[in-house]
Amino acid sequence: MEVSYYPGCSLHGMAAEYDESIRSVCRSLDVALAELADWNCCGASSAHFLDDDLAVGLAARNLLIAEREGRELLIPCAACFQRLKHADKQLRKEAGRWTAEPYQGKARLLHVNEFFDRPELIQGVRRKVKRPLAGLAGVAYYGCLSQRPPKVTDSRQPENPTSMDDLLRAIGMEVRPWSYKTDCCGGSLAVARTDLVRKLSGDLFEAAVEAGAQCVVTDCPLCQSNLDSRQAEIEAERSKRYGLPVFYVTELMALAFGEDGADRWWKRHFVDPRPLLRSKGLA
Amino acid sequence: MVEANAQNSRDKVGAVMVVGAGIGGMQAALDLANAGFHVTLVEETTAIGGRMAQLDKTFPTNDCSMCTISPKLIEVDKHLNIDVVTNADVIGLEGEAGNFRVKVRKRPRFVNLEKCNACGDCLEKCPVALPSEFDQGMMARKAIFKRYPQAIPAAVAISKAGRAPCRAACPAAVHSQGYVALIRQRRYKEAAALVRRDLPLPSVCGRVCYHPCEDQCERGKLDQPVAICALKRFVGDWALQHDSQPEPFPLTHQEKVAVVGSGPAGLACANELIRRGYPVTVFEAAQKAGGMLRYGIPAYRLPDRVLDQDLDYLRKLGIRIQTGKPAASIADLKSQGFQAVFVSTGAPRGAPLGIPGEESEGVLDAIRFLRGVNSGAMARIEGSVAVIGGGNSAIDAARAAVRLGASQVKVVYRRSRAEMPAHDWEIEEAEAEGVGFEFLAAPIRIERQNGGVKRLVCLRMTLGEPDQSGRPKPVPVEGSDFDILVNLVIPAIGQSADLGGLGEVVQTTPRGWISSDAITLATNVPGVFAGGDVVTGPASVVDAFAAGKRAAESIDRYLRGVDLREGRDLASPTAPGPGAEDVKPQPRATPKTLGPARRRASFDEIVSSLTEEQAVAEAQRCLNCGICSECLQCVIACTAGAILHDMLPEEITVEVGAVLLAPGYEPFDPLLRGEYGYGRYKNVVTSLEFERILSASGPYQGHVRRPSDLAEPKRVAWIQCVGSRDPQLGNDYCSSVCCMYAVKEAIMAVDHVPGLEATIFYNDIRAYGKGFEAYYEGAKKNYGVRFKRGIISSVKERQQTRNLALAYVSESGQVAEEEFDLVVLSVGLRPSASTAQLAKTVGVELDRFGFCRTDALAPSRTSKEGIYVAGTFAAPMDIPETVMAASGAAATAAEALHEARGTRVREKTFPPERDVAGEEPRVGVFVCRCGTNIARVVGVSDVVDYARSLPYVAHVEENLYTCSTDTQRKIVETIQQYNLNRVVVASCTPRTHEPLFQETLREAGLNRHLFEMANIRDQCSWVHFSHPREATFKAKDLVRMAVARAATLRPFPDIRLEVDQRAIVLGAGVAGMTAALGLADQGFEVALVEREPEPGGIARQIRHTLQGADVQAFLADLVARVKEHPQVRLYTGATLEDFSGHVGKFKAKLRHNSRLLEVGGGAVIVATGGAAYNPTEYAYGQSAAILTQLELEQKLADPHFARGLKQVAMIQCVGSREEGHPWCSRVCCQEAIKNALAIKRANPAAGVFVLFRDIRTYGFDEIEYERAREAGVVFIRFEPEKKPEVTVDGGLRVRVIDDVLDRPVELRPDLLVLSAGIRPHPEAEAVSQALKVPLNADGFFLEAHMKLRPLDFGSEGIFLAGLAHAPKTIAESISQAKGAAARAATVLSKPFLDRSGVISEVDSTKCAACLTCVRLCPYDVPVITEEGVAFIEPASCQGCGVCAAACPRKAIVTRHYRDEQIAAKVDVLFGDAAFEAAGAAALQSGGET
Repeated sequence: MEVSYYPGCSLHGMAAEYDESIRSVCRSLDVALAELADWNCCGASSAHFLDDDLAVGLAARNLLIAEREGRELLIPCAACFQRLKHADKQLRKEAGRWTAEPYQGKARLLHVNEFFDRPELIQGVRRKVKRPLAGLAGVAYYGCLSQRPPKVTDSRQPENPTSMDDLLRAIGMEVRPWSYKTDCCGGSLAVARTDLVRKLSGDLFEAAVEAGAQCVVTDCPLCQSNLDSRQAEIEAERSKRYGLPVFYVTELMALAFGEDGADRWWKRHFVDPRPLLRSKGLA
Repeated sequence: MVEANAQNSRDKVGAVMVVGAGIGGMQAALDLANAGFHVTLVEETTAIGGRMAQLDKTFPTNDCSMCTISPKLIEVDKHLNIDVVTNADVIGLEGEAGNFRVKVRKRPRFVNLEKCNACGDCLEKCPVALPSEFDQGMMARKAIFKRYPQAIPAAVAISKAGRAPCRAACPAAVHSQGYVALIRQRRYKEAAALVRRDLPLPSVCGRVCYHPCEDQCERGKLDQPVAICALKRFVGDWALQHDSQPEPFPLTHQEKVAVVGSGPAGLACANELIRRGYPVTVFEAAQKAGGMLRYGIPAYRLPDRVLDQDLDYLRKLGIRIQTGKPAASIADLKSQGFQAVFVSTGAPRGAPLGIPGEESEGVLDAIRFLRGVNSGAMARIEGSVAVIGGGNSAIDAARAAVRLGASQVKVVYRRSRAEMPAHDWEIEEAEAEGVGFEFLAAPIRIERQNGGVKRLVCLRMTLGEPDQSGRPKPVPVEGSDFDILVNLVIPAIGQSADLGGLGEVVQTTPRGWISSDAITLATNVPGVFAGGDVVTGPASVVDAFAAGKRAAESIDRYLRGVDLREGRDLASPTAPGPGAEDVKPQPRATPKTLGPARRRASFDEIVSSLTEEQAVAEAQRCLNCGICSECLQCVIACTAGAILHDMLPEEITVEVGAVLLAPGYEPFDPLLRGEYGYGRYKNVVTSLEFERILSASGPYQGHVRRPSDLAEPKRVAWIQCVGSRDPQLGNDYCSSVCCMYAVKEAIMAVDHVPGLEATIFYNDIRAYGKGFEAYYEGAKKNYGVRFKRGIISSVKERQQTRNLALAYVSESGQVAEEEFDLVVLSVGLRPSASTAQLAKTVGVELDRFGFCRTDALAPSRTSKEGIYVAGTFAAPMDIPETVMAASGAAATAAEALHEARGTRVREKTFPPERDVAGEEPRVGVFVCRCGTNIARVVGVSDVVDYARSLPYVAHVEENLYTCSTDTQRKIVETIQQYNLNRVVVASCTPRTHEPLFQETLREAGLNRHLFEMANIRDQCSWVHFSHPREATFKAKDLVRMAVARAATLRPFPDIRLEVDQRAIVLGAGVAGMTAALGLADQGFEVALVEREPEPGGIARQIRHTLQGADVQAFLADLVARVKEHPQVRLYTGATLEDFSGHVGKFKAKLRHNSRLLEVGGGAVIVATGGAAYNPTEYAYGQSAAILTQLELEQKLADPHFARGLKQVAMIQCVGSREEGHPWCSRVCCQEAIKNALAIKRANPAAGVFVLFRDIRTYGFDEIEYERAREAGVVFIRFEPEKKPEVTVDGGLRVRVIDDVLDRPVELRPDLLVLSAGIRPHPEAEAVSQALKVPLNADGFFLEAHMKLRPLDFGSEGIFLAGLAHAPKTIAESISQAKGAAARAATVLSKPFLDRSGVISEVDSTKCAACLTCVRLCPYDVPVITEEGVAFIEPASCQGCGVCAAACPRKAIVTRHYRDEQIAAKVDVLFGDAAFEAAGAAALQSGGET
C-alpha cells in the first residue's frame, strides 16, 4: 500500500519523533510513505488568521499536488489536517477562485488515527504486536482540530471519537474512559495566553488522573507540545504532581511492534516517560 | 350476532380503520364505535396502549398513568364494534373517500389469540431473555412475552427474527439454538428431550456429525463459532446417564410401518413415527443394529457403547428392531400387515478399483475392512498399507490401520490435498497419527507375491481442466509409474447400494440407487418410500437423519390419506445475524482430546465430552440469532395449546369509509447529541427511561435509583430541549410536552426521595396548558425544584464516582460547574420510524420533519380526502390534546360517513330472560385453575369439594380456564341443564372479567345481575403464593362469601333511556359554530344559542393566525354555513333562562327577541367562550400609543400604519401568570410574534422589542419565533420581580432590566403593545349554575378528567369546547369543538341509551329531606321535590352508593348493593351457623395442598 504523506512543518521540527515513529510504524505495516512532492505550508496559524484566501490558496496547492499523485494523503498534524480539509471543502465549491486547474477532490485526506483504524490496517497492527503494552493505562486525547467541526473534518463521532482508543487497545494498552477526549488544551494560545493554556491543560491533567491514567496519548503536535512542555509549570502553579508522559500514538505503536529507535524518542519528551515504561517492563 | 347489511348507504362504508392504538387511537375508535361505526383498530406492536402506558404519572394531576388508561384498554377490548388487530401494518390502500379497501399485514404472533388466556405459564419456561421494549431496555423480558402486565389483547406473543442460521443449515432442522439456550440454563433434561425429538441418536450425532450448523454460526464472524455439535454431544451423554428410562410412546394409530435397514435414516424414520403413535418395526440384516454407524465408523470416533445406549433408548420408546434377519420382499412385508415401508438399506458395498491384481488376497475395500475392524474380526495388521481414495472412509481406514499396528500407512490420492473430500480436521489428525499421503498418484496395477500383495504400481497425475464435479481433472503423466511396496491395499473410492430382496419392484437409477421423489421420498410403489445412502449414494449421517424424518412425514400423510406434497418445505426465513459490536470475544470451548501417541496405540475415543462448566460457558457464547430459540418449552408449558411456532404472516383486506391515522411518536435518539454522553455514561438516562425508573413496575420497583451503582441519587439534573428547538439537527420545532413532563418527573423524584435536589436546565419553561403554570410554580414552592436557564453544552463523567459534571453560566455571569448523581435528558418527540412508510402507503403528505401535513384551520384533515389524523403524528402534543384531537378526527370522519352510520355495526341479541321469581336460589359455582396461576397455589379441587357443601349450591365445576370461549359455551349449557338461577365464578378480577361472565348469563337467559365473583387469583394465589395452605383456606372463605351474597341477589332490569336526537350548543364563537356544524353535518338537529347579536366571538378581532391563515375569511364562511345549514337553528341575542333534564333529554328555556322559548336536545355543548383582559397596568389608557395586541392587530390592517413606526415595544404576560390570575394565557406569545413579524415585514427598519418572561411558542410556532429573531426582533427577558416600568409624561418610555446584561435598558417607542391575557367569560358563573357543571378556581369550566375526559363534564351528556375550557388558539378550539361534537354524537347517534340498572332509589316514605344526599352526591343528582322529599333521577345516577351509605334514615337503597347483600358476605365470614358448620366439616376433610 502506498500513500502520499504530508508532514507539515511540525513534523520536520518540534514533532520529529512523531514523524519518525509514523515512518517506522508504516514500514512495519508495509505502507510505503511518499512524501508529497514540493509541499508547502498548509496555511495554519498565521495565514488563516490574516487572509482566508491565502490560507485556502496555500492548502490548495498541496491538494492539487496530491490529486496529481493519485494516492490517499496522510496528514499527521491536526492543524494541517484541518486546513487541508477546509480547503478541500472550499475547492469543491468554487475551485476557480484559487486555481485554473480543475479540482476533483479525488485524494482522500486522512488523519493518523482514522488511517490506522481502518479494518485492513488494524488487523495488521494486531498481528505486528510483539510486546503488548499490558498494564500501561492511559487516556486517548484527540484534541479538537482533527475532529471538529464535523462539517469540515467529516468526523462521524466528533463528540466521542474512538479510532485512537481502538488502536491503543489493539496494541494491548489499557484505555481508560474519560470525558475529555476532544476538550481544548489551549491550542494556539500557547504563546499569547499561556495562562489559558495552563488552565485548560491543567484541567485535562486533573481529569486524566481522575480517570486512572498514567499517561496521555495524542496525535496532535500542538496538543502534545502544550501538555508536555507546560506540565511542569502547571504542576508548580497548582502545587500538584501529575507526572503524565504525553505520547504520540505512533510512538507507542512502534514500541509495541518492538521496533528499534523508540528509545531515541523518549529523551526528547519534557516529561520523561522512561520511569513509567521501565516500571511496566517496556523500556 | 347479526351483521347488518351495508347495501343502501350510497356506497359509503360505515366503518373506519384507526391506525395506531395509543391513547389517541383508542379514543377515536371508542368515539366512532359508540356513534354507530364499525372500527378496525390496527396496532404495530403486540398490545394496545401506546406510550401513555409506559408513563408513571401524568401532569398536572399526578394521576397514575396506568390506572387511568387501563379502563380504556378494557373498554376497547370488550367493544363489540371494535376489532383490534395487533402486530400488524397497513401495507396497501385502494379506493376513495367513503369506500377504501385497506390491506393489512398481520405479522405472526406465534400464539393463537383465541386460545391464549394470558396465564403466563409459558413465560417462566422460556430460556431467552431480551431487553424489554416497554421498559426502554432497562429490564429483561422473555422471547415469549406480554408487552406489559395489563396489556390488551391479554395474550402473549413470541419474538422471532426467523429461523436461526444454525438450524437453517442443519439438514435435519435440529432445534440447535433451542438446546443451546436450555444448556445455558442447565436444563439438560429439556435440552436432551428437544434433541431426541429431532434426532434418534443424540450422542452418536454429537460425535460424528460434520456440523454444517457451525459453518453458519454468526458467532464465527466475531471470533469462533459456538461448539454446537459438542454441546449436543454433552446433552446426549448427560441424558444417557440421567434420563435413559423413557415411557414408551402410546400407539395412537393401527397402521404398522416397516423400516428396512437400521442405519441413521431408518432409525430417524422410526423415531419420528413412534412419536406420532405408529407401531414401527425396523428390519436389520446384520447381527447388530446401527448400519454404517456401527460397521463403518471406527471406535475411536464412535464407541459401540454409545451407539448401544442410544439404540437402547429407542427400543424403550417402543420401536421394535429385528436384527440378523434381512427383510424379505415388499410383498412379504405387506403380507405381514405392514401398510407402509421405508427402505433405507444404505450403500454397504465398496466399489472396485478396476485395475489388474485387485482380486488378490491382501486387497480389501474400506467398507469391508472397517466392518472387520469394528466387528473384531480384524485385530492386527502386519506390514505396510496403502489406502486408495481421498474421502472420509479412506481416512477412517488409514487411521484404523495405524491403530492395528501397520508399519506404514499411506493414502494414495489422485488429486492434490486441496481437493480431498475428507474433512480437514480428519486429515490433520491422521497426519498427526503418522499417516502418510501420496498425492497426484493413481494406482494402475497391483503386483502379487506369495498369494499376497507386493507392490502397488501407480502413475503420477497432474491437474487439468475442471471436470463435472468442478474439481480439476487428474491427468496421467506419461511414463511416470512408480511403485509403493505394500502388504495390504484398501480401496476407498466409492460405495454402491445393496437392495437385498427389495430391488425387484422398486425402480432404480442406472447406477443402482433407488429412485425416489426428492421431496416426498416416494418410490414408484405406493406406500414404499426410500431415503438415505440407498437413494443418494454415500452421504453424511445428518443427511440420513433428515431423509428418515422426511420419510416419516410422508408415511404419516400417506396413512392418513393426506396429500404428500402440500405445504412441505415452507420454512420461515433465516434470521439475520444480530450483530456483535458489543460482544466481548471469548474463545470457544475445546474438549479434552488424546494426544497422537495415545491415539496410535488404541481405539480409545479421541475426543471427550465437554465438562458441565465448559458446556454452560460455551452455550453462553450463543448470540440468539433467531431471538426465540424454538426450544419448544412454551409448547410444553401451554395447557391451552395456544402456541403455533409455524405461524405465517397473514394479509387481510378491510373495507372502510375512512382511515384515521394515530401512529404516535418515538422519542428523539439522544445518541445524536453526543455531547451529553448518552450510551457512554450509565447515569445519563432519557426521560422515558426515567419514567420507567419511577414506575412501580419498572426496573427498580419504583425506587429511584441510578443505573451505575443502584444508589439513590440525591442530585438530579434535567436537560431540556434534547432534540427539540434544534435547527442543527433539523428539529427546529418545540416538542411541546417536555417542560411539563420534566417538571412532573422532578416533583415525583422529590416525592420518592425526600431531600432530593432536582434541577431543570431549560430555555423557556413552556407551561402553557390548563393548570400547568400553577403546577410549575408549585414545583418551585413545594418541592424546591431549581430552574436554571441555559443550554448545557456538554456533560462530563467523573470516572471514580460516575457522577456527572455540568457546566453552565451562573447568575453572576461566571461559568460554574456542578456535579449531579443522575442526568435526565428531556428528549423530544419525533414521528415514529414506521410512519413515513405508512404515509406513503395511504398517500398522505408529510411535512419536512415527517409529521403529517394538516390544514391550519382543519387540524384533523390530511392532504387526502377520507384520511384523517390525530395526536402526535400531526404535531407534538400532550395527552389531553391528543384525546381532544382524536375525538375531533373521529367527528370529521363521522361527518363524511354519516349516511352510512349504523350499517356495519354488530348487535348482540340475547334470548328472553327467564323469570326466576319465587325460585329457591340454585347457585352454580365455577372454580378456575387459570392454567397453573391459581392451581399451583390453591388446592382447586379442594375448593370445588368445599363449594359443593355450601347451602344453595346446585352445581360445582372446575375449569382450566373459565374465561375461554369453550368454557363460556359450557357454562351456558350447564346453567340450562341444572336450571341454575345464580352463578358464582371463582377466578380473577371482576375489573376485567365481570362483563364477560355477565354476558354469558344473558346468553343462558338469566338476568346479568344474578352473578357474583370471588377473586381467588389476584387477591389470593398471587399474593399468597408462598402460603398454599392458607391460600386454600382463604379461597374457600372467598367462595363461601360469594355464594352467600349470590343467594341474596335479585334480578332487575337495566335502564333504557330515550334520546332526543337533537343537540343544544351554547355559544356561537368559532368553537360553538364548529361544534354545531360538526353535529349538523352528522345529521343531527342543533339549536345554537348566542348571547351577542352577532356570532363569531373573539375571532372577530383576529385577522390571521401566526402561520398566516386568513381568520376573517374562515369566520365569514363559518357564519354563512351556520346560517344556511338546514339542521342548525341559530338564536342570536338569546339568553339562557332555565335549564333542566338529564342525558338524552335536556331542555333549555331561552329569552330570544323578548320572547321565551324552549329548545331541547339529548346532549349539550358548552362553548360560551372567554374574554380578553382589559389591562389596568403599564399606563394602559393613559396614552393613545399604548395598545393591546388585539388593538394593534386591527390597526395593522392598514398597511400604512406599520410604515410609520420607528420603534415598538411589546410587554408579555400582561394580566397572566400573576397572583389572582396565575394561568398562562397561551396565545399571547404567538400573537406578539405574529404582530412583530407583520411590522417587520411592512417596515424592516422599525425596531421591535419584545419584553418577555418565557417565550411559549410550542410546537411548530417555534419556527416563527426563530423567524422573528432572524428578522431582527429583539427579545429581552425580565424577571417578574423586576417588571418593565412605563412612563408617559414627557413621551413614552419603557425601562426594563435586561436579564442577560443585568443592566437597565430604556426604550422610547412610539408604540407600546400589551399582550393582555385571556379571562374566563363573565357569564361563565351563571352558565355553571344553570347547568350544574363546575368551574375551576380560575373560573374556567372544569372537565370530568383533565387527561382522559377533557371534553366531558362529570354530568353525563354535557360537553365542553373552546375558550370556556381554557385559553387556546383558534386551531385548538376547532379541534376541540369537533371533538365535543364527536363526544355528543356518542349520545345522539342512537334513539336510546342503555345504562346499568345499578342506581340508588329513595323510599319517599322514609325521607326526611335532610339534604345529606343532596350535599354528598358527587354528580349533583339528588333534588328535593315539591313534595319535600329527595328524588334521584335514574338517568343521571351513577350508582356510586355514596348517598345510600350516608342516608341517616336508610331511605336510600343502591340496587345490587343492598344492606342485606353486603351483610350476607360479612355474616358468613364471621359466623353464619349453617355456613360455619359446612365450613368446619370441610376443614376437617382436609384443606391440605
